[in-house]
Amino acid sequence: MGRSVRRVAAVGLVAALAISGCSGQSLEGGNDDAAAGQVSLKINFWGDMGLDKLKAKYEAEHTNVKIVLNSGEYNAQHEDLQKKLVAGSGAPDISAVDEGFIVQFRSQADQFVNLVDKGASSYESKYLGWKWKASQSADGKQIGLGTDVGGLAMCYRTDLFKAAGLPTDRESVSKLWPTWDEFIATGQKYTKATGKKFVDSGTNLFNPVLAQQPVGFYDDQEALQMEGGPKVAFDTSMKAIEAGISANLASFQPNWDQGFKKDQFAALACPAWMLGHIQDTAPDQKGKWDIASIPGGGGNWGGSWWTIPKQGKNVDEAYKFVEWLIQPEQQIEVFKTVGNLPSQPALYKDPAVLDFKKEFFTNAPTGQIFAATAENLQPQYLGKKNGPTRVAVENVITRVQQGGLKPDAAWAEAVKAADKASKA
Amino acid sequence: MSLTEIRPAPPGQPKHAPPPRAKFWLYRFDTKTVPYLLIAPFFLLFAIFGLFPIVFNAIVALRNWRLDEPDERGWAGFENFSRLLTDEDFWNALGNTFGIFVLSTIPQLLIALIIANLLNRKLRGTTWWRVGILLPYVTPVAASTLVFAMFFARDYGLANWFLSLVGFGNENPIDWRAAKWSSWIAIATMVNWKWIGYNALLYLSAMQSIPKDVYEASAVDGAGPWRQLWQITVPMIQPVILFTVVLSTIGGLQLFNEPMLFDENPASASGGSDGQFQTIAQLIYKVGWKDLNLGYAAAMSWALFLIILIVAAVNALATRRLGGDK
Amino acid sequence: MTSLVNRAPQETRGNWKTYAVLATFMILSAFPVYWMFVIATSTDEKVMGFPPTVIPGDQLLVNLSEVFGMQDVFFTASLINSVIVAGVVTLTTLFFCSLAGFAFAKLRFRYRNALMIIVILTLTVPNQLGVVALYILMSRLEWNGTLLAVIAPGLVSAFGVFYMRQFIGHAIPDELIEAARIDGALTLRIYWTVVLPAIRPALAVLGLLTFVATWNDFQWPLITLNGTDFPTSMVALSDLASGNYVIYRRVLAGAFAATVPLVILLLIGGRQIVRGIMEGALK
Repeated sequence: MGRSVRRVAAVGLVAALAISGCSGQSLEGGNDDAAAGQVSLKINFWGDMGLDKLKAKYEAEHTNVKIVLNSGEYNAQHEDLQKKLVAGSGAPDISAVDEGFIVQFRSQADQFVNLVDKGASSYESKYLGWKWKASQSADGKQIGLGTDVGGLAMCYRTDLFKAAGLPTDRESVSKLWPTWDEFIATGQKYTKATGKKFVDSGTNLFNPVLAQQPVGFYDDQEALQMEGGPKVAFDTSMKAIEAGISANLASFQPNWDQGFKKDQFAALACPAWMLGHIQDTAPDQKGKWDIASIPGGGGNWGGSWWTIPKQGKNVDEAYKFVEWLIQPEQQIEVFKTVGNLPSQPALYKDPAVLDFKKEFFTNAPTGQIFAATAENLQPQYLGKKNGPTRVAVENVITRVQQGGLKPDAAWAEAVKAADKASKA
Repeated sequence: MSLTEIRPAPPGQPKHAPPPRAKFWLYRFDTKTVPYLLIAPFFLLFAIFGLFPIVFNAIVALRNWRLDEPDERGWAGFENFSRLLTDEDFWNALGNTFGIFVLSTIPQLLIALIIANLLNRKLRGTTWWRVGILLPYVTPVAASTLVFAMFFARDYGLANWFLSLVGFGNENPIDWRAAKWSSWIAIATMVNWKWIGYNALLYLSAMQSIPKDVYEASAVDGAGPWRQLWQITVPMIQPVILFTVVLSTIGGLQLFNEPMLFDENPASASGGSDGQFQTIAQLIYKVGWKDLNLGYAAAMSWALFLIILIVAAVNALATRRLGGDK
Repeated sequence: MTSLVNRAPQETRGNWKTYAVLATFMILSAFPVYWMFVIATSTDEKVMGFPPTVIPGDQLLVNLSEVFGMQDVFFTASLINSVIVAGVVTLTTLFFCSLAGFAFAKLRFRYRNALMIIVILTLTVPNQLGVVALYILMSRLEWNGTLLAVIAPGLVSAFGVFYMRQFIGHAIPDELIEAARIDGALTLRIYWTVVLPAIRPALAVLGLLTFVATWNDFQWPLITLNGTDFPTSMVALSDLASGNYVIYRRVLAGAFAATVPLVILLLIGGRQIVRGIMEGALK
C-alpha cells in the first residue's frame, strides 16, 4: 500500500529539485532566445497607442525582433517604471512616459539612454520646440522622443444631442459653448430635456480646464500654485457637478466604460488620444460621435514620449524601433488608427493628416481640428510631483461626486490633498 | 535514488547481532545527529525567509529607507514611529481596519455557530453539506472579490437591484464605495462569505466531541435546541471559540485582498477616493511600494503587529469572560 | 415541546427547517461562484442588462480566448506559474514538514521541546511583519520578479511541522519504531518505510490545504511579481481588473479560469480538506 505513495513522493521530489535547480534560467526569465540572435523588446504603455499593426509590420521587416506590447493602467505603469528604475532591473526595453510624469523622469536622466548619443539630435528640428525640451534634463540629456500631443476638443454624441433638441453639426455645436459657463448651461438644457446626465465626470472637466491655464499645479520653480490655474479648473468642475449635469463616473474605470455603452453621458472633453479610447470602448457607436471645439480656447492635455531605460539589454535594437516609430509614415498610421496627433509640426501640413476624415466620428476632419489646436499651444510647466498631485485632487473631486464632501468645502480639501501629495 | 532500496524489510527477519564498532559510530550518528538533520531544513529555510526578515524589518524601521532616494539612507532613530502618531492616514486606516473587523468577525462567528449547530444534527448527506460549505474557502479571494466588486457596483449592480426590489434606492442607487459605512459593509460581506463555512467546521468538530450524556445530565431542563446551544454547547466548545476569535483577529487586522480589489482602480491601493476603506495592510503596501518609503512601511508593520498582539489578547480575555470561565 | 430529559443535538433528527436554513446558506455560499460563471459566459449587453442576468450564456469560450489572448496579461503563463509555485511549495512543505514532524514526535534529542515551542510561537507572527524586509532580501538575491521569490518563503511552514508532529504522535505507536530499530533500520529508513506509509492521510490533508493557500496567496506575489512577465494567476487577475479597458465578462472569465482548478480539487479532495480542518480544531 505504501508503495505508490513513495513513488509519488520520490517523483515529486525529483521534479521539485529539477525545477528549482534549473530555475536559474527558466524561472528568472530574461531573453532565452538571445543566443539565436533573436531580440525581444518589451514596450510598456497604457490604453491603445495604435501599435498592434505596426508591431506586425516591424516584425515582418526585422525577423530577428519580437515586440511584446504591454498595455497597463496609466498611473500604475508610471509607478512601475519608477520602481524598476530604482530596483535597477525589471524595466521594459521601451517605456512610454506621459507629459504628467516626464519631469519626474527627466530628473533621473542617468537611468535612461541619452538618445542624443544614439544620434537623435537630427530630429530636434522636426519637433515642436517645447515637446523636444520637455523630455530634456537640465544638463541636456534627451531621455525620450515625442510621440503625440494632446490638443483639446470636445467630443459629443450626435444622436443624443438630436434627441435633446440640440444642434448636431460641429459648427453649430461649437457655437453653443465659447466658454465653460455656456457649456454648463448647454448641459443643463440637455439634462432638463432628457433627464440624463451630460458629461461623464467632474475630473474630465478639471483636467482640460487646467490644461488651458498658463500655469498648472507647479510653477517653473517647482512651487505648488493652487490659487491660480487649479482653482479655476476646480471651480469649473464644481459648478458642473452642482448643476447636476455630471454622471459622476470615475474615468478610465469599468463603470466609465459601461457609461459609454449605456449612453450615460453625451459629451466628453477629448484630447486627440481620447479618440482611440472611445472607438475601442464603444465600437458599435460608430457614426454617432462628432467633434466640436472645446470651450475656453486651446490647451494640451497629455501626450507622451518613448523612453529607453538604460538597464535594458538591447538598447540599440530598442532605439532602432523607437526611431522607426517616430518616422512620419508610422506617426501618420498611428494618427489614422487611434487618433493620436503627432508632435512633429511638418505633419500638420501633410495632406495625409490634413485631409483625413475619421469615419467613426461622423467623418470629422480630425487632422484639421487637432492640428489647429496644437500649433497655437502655450505649454505648461508640469512639476516633478505633477502626477501624484493630479491624482490627489481628482480624488477630492470624486469625493464630491460621491456625495461625501460638500462642494463649498471641497476646495480647502483639495489644497490640503495637493499639499500632501507634493511632499510625499 | 533507487526505489528498490526503500522497500520495507520483510517481516520475520532474524534480529541483528549486537553492532560491531563501525556500526556503533553509525548508530551514534543516527541517534545523536540525524534528528537535527531532519529538523534542519525547516529551521534553515525558516531562519532565512521567516525569521531574518522580521529581525531585519526592525532595522529598516529605524532607518531612512526610500526606494527612490537610495543615497539618503541612514539611521532615523524613532522618527518613523513618531511620524505614525500624527499621520492621519494611519489613524484613518486603523479605524477602517477595526470597523471592518467588527462588522466581519461578529456575524461571521455567530452565523458559523448556528450553521455548525444545524450540521451537528442527524442529517442526510452529511459529507455533502460539509464539503459544500467549503466552496467559499477554496475560492481564490482575488476571484471572489472581483465578483463582489461587480455585485456592489453603483450602476447595474446586483446589490442595488435587490434593494430596488424592496423599493430602496430607486432614485439614488447606493454608491457602495463612496461612504465608510457602505464600503465597510460590502467588504465585511466578502470576509463573512469566505470564512463562515470554515469556522462552522471548526465548531462542528468541537461540538461532536461533547459527550452525549453532558446534554442528558444537564441542569437546564427541557431546553429547546437554541437555549441548549447557548447554555450547554457554547460553554463546552469555548476553547475552540477562543481559537477562532484569535485566528480572526490575526487575519482580520491584516485584511488586504478584499479592500485592495474592491477599489474601482485596484492598482491605486488608495482604498477609495478618501481612503474610506483603506486598511493598515493596504496602507503599508501603498507607503512601501507606491510612495517607495520602505522605512516608514516597516515601522507601520511593527505598529500593526503590536496592535494585533494587544487585540488578540483582549479578545481572548473577553471570550473567556463571556464563556463564564472562573 | 418540553421534555424533562435533554437530547443531545447529535441525536436530534434534522427537520425541514434545518434543511431549509442549510440549503439557503449553501445557495448563498455558492452564488458568487455561480454568478462568476454567468458573467464569464455572457456578452457585454447581458452583463449590463437591467435587471442583471442570472442565467448563463454561451460565450464562455469567446471570453476565455480573449483573456488567454491578451499578451500583456500573460494569463496562460500565469496559470502554469501558479501550478509550478503551488506544486513545488506543496511538495517541499510535505517533505520537510513530515521530516521535522517525525523528529519532533518520535526522536529524542536535546532542546527538542524548546525548539518545538519556537515553531509554535512562529505560528502567531503575522506575515505582514516581514514583508518589507523580505522584499529587500529578495532584491539583494536578485530574485524579485521571479517565481523563486514566491516559492522560497513557502518552502516550509510552521503549521505543517506542528500538524505533522501531532499526527505522527497519534498515528504511529512507539513500538513500531522500536521494532524497526531493533531490525537495524536507521532513522531515515524508518521515515521511508514506517512513517511515510502511515501518514498518507495527513499528507493528503496538509498537501491540499497548502496547495489551496499557496494558489490563493495574493499580497506577497503582488508585491514581488507585479509588472513582470511572470505573474501568478492571482496577480494576473488583478492586472486584468486594472487595465485601461476593464471588461467585466473578461475579468470574470479569468477569475473563473483561476477558480476552476480549486473547485475540482474540492470535488476530489473535499473529504480530506473537511477532515483536515476538523482535526486541526481538536489539537
